[in-house]
Amino acid sequence: MASEEESAVKEPLDLIRLSLDERIYVKLRSDRELRGKLHAYDQHLNMILGDVEEVVTTVEIDDETYEEIVRRLLEAYEGQGFQHCLGKQILFAEPFHMLNFVIQTTRRTVPFLFVRGDGVILVSPPLRTA
Amino acid sequence: MSTGGEKGSATTKTPADFLKSIRGRPVVVKLNSGVDYRGILACLDGYMNIAMEQTEEYVNGQLKNKYGDAFIRGNNVLYISTSKRTLADGA
Repeated sequence: MASEEESAVKEPLDLIRLSLDERIYVKLRSDRELRGKLHAYDQHLNMILGDVEEVVTTVEIDDETYEEIVRRLLEAYEGQGFQHCLGKQILFAEPFHMLNFVIQTTRRTVPFLFVRGDGVILVSPPLRTA
Repeated sequence: MSTGGEKGSATTKTPADFLKSIRGRPVVVKLNSGVDYRGILACLDGYMNIAMEQTEEYVNGQLKNKYGDAFIRGNNVLYISTSKRTLADGA
């Protein structure tokens, strides 16, 4: 019952409301992540963020047709923690030796960003210990 | 305890009743992408937007991230399942 008394979160969007003017983390479709200050939002989760850092995780590969295979391999591989492989070339043993690709994260900062709500997967407010 | 934190499933009649009954319980939320979120269900709405606490993100069964609070947009949800959490709850 702690959850209800805690911070007047009666519906999920209250969590967003309580994050106004705070820096939040937003996980978007297509492997994009944002961190920025929440200036405004609506019921669709359209948001206006300020001082945004966007991180895009991509896989670069010689032969595009293998992208799906690589993606699955990575998901499996990721289990063992592929973070340390970021930016390095990865060569799999047979039967995937022909796949030559690089995982990359691209960062950019944007002063102001309008985010369309339908791309949002998850929003996490700053850590509140209350 | 109003909506029945005790034995939710025993009194559940409709999906909406089930959702009401599991507030405050440990749950697993699976998204269409296959990612799992484990945590305490704080609340949810008619869009199946979800607010969770002590959330852990699992990709391929591996813990990838933790969030104190998390809002999950309902359209991404594949299912919500109650879970027996490790030690925290006697649920």
